[in-house]
Amino acid sequence: MHEFSISSEIAKTVLDTAEENKGIRVLSILLEIGEMTLLSVEQVKFWVQELLKGSIAEGAEINIKTIRVRIQCEFCQHQGRPFFDQQEGVGHLGPYCCPKCKSFQVKVKKGGGCTLRQIRMVR
Amino acid sequence: MKVVKPKGPEIFDIELEKDLLAKNRNLAKENRKRFDHLKITAIDVMGSIGSGKTSLIKALLKKLNMGESVGVIAGDLTTTIDAERIREEGARVIQINTGKECHLDAHLVGQAIERMSLSGIDILFIENVGNLICPGEFPLGAHKRIVVTSTTEGPYTLIKHPYIFRQADVIVLNKIDLAKAMKLNPSQLEKDSRKINPQAPFIRTNAIKGTGIPEILRSLKFKT
Repeated sequence: MHEFSISSEIAKTVLDTAEENKGIRVLSILLEIGEMTLLSVEQVKFWVQELLKGSIAEGAEINIKTIRVRIQCEFCQHQGRPFFDQQEGVGHLGPYCCPKCKSFQVKVKKGGGCTLRQIRMVR
Repeated sequence: MKVVKPKGPEIFDIELEKDLLAKNRNLAKENRKRFDHLKITAIDVMGSIGSGKTSLIKALLKKLNMGESVGVIAGDLTTTIDAERIREEGARVIQINTGKECHLDAHLVGQAIERMSLSGIDILFIENVGNLICPGEFPLGAHKRIVVTSTTEGPYTLIKHPYIFRQADVIVLNKIDLAKAMKLNPSQLEKDSRKINPQAPFIRTNAIKGTGIPEILRSLKFKT
């Protein structure tokens, strides 16, 4: 649902950056989407493509890299991948905890963002 | 920060680190500064469609009994029904219509507080769009976030939507009077709540009757 507003932001940033750098055609873009965001990769790809239609970035290749989540336990300070409670059957969005001490008081250190990493263009 | 490096005769790669969720976070910080400057405590009320967000805000206003020193920003797609219901309680209300958007964002709230007269306001409730997915990803700058669910949504709401409940400072299970009719065990939902967000109090309410409302105000540290 909110993929549309994020995609609008992505498309705008791509076009602004290309223009700033005197680009005449955008060939590809690279996005990084964290596992812990509620963004559907397929939907973002679709909307960015749609929103770039009719611009210098129409038809650009949209590459999306998924960033795996890393946590820091606020209890034992362990850093790494969380333990997901797969019993609940909701994958990485389900309850997760520290794999070492099983505390649920963990902070997401990585994998919670959506970043535009690279734009390849012709000048 | 970006580096432009040649790649082939006319092809360039622009390397950048543009965090697309950061813009909203920064605007939220601006809103927070504004609230702090004006000594306003802002509360973001999120929750599912029909969970009773408006009824809960009405019940909180009734109990607070502070008239126009409480403000409410009512977010909805296109109607003003919620704003009108809240106005009955004597609070200062402003409506934000998001149109197609499924959530409020910090920019919309920033615009609303520009339009709204905030002088004399001590507490500001921001009623988000009914949705358990998108609002979780868009902080508004509020000091506290309440997430409302209700017994009529069935037994799996928390476990299906842990992301938004993880953002909550207070978790509310509304329509507690209907739990039996729904064959729902509130203790199971409380167990899920402890698992997902051990810090947030889990409060059972009946917003129509006012059950649980003092507990919410206490956990928000408001005097009644």
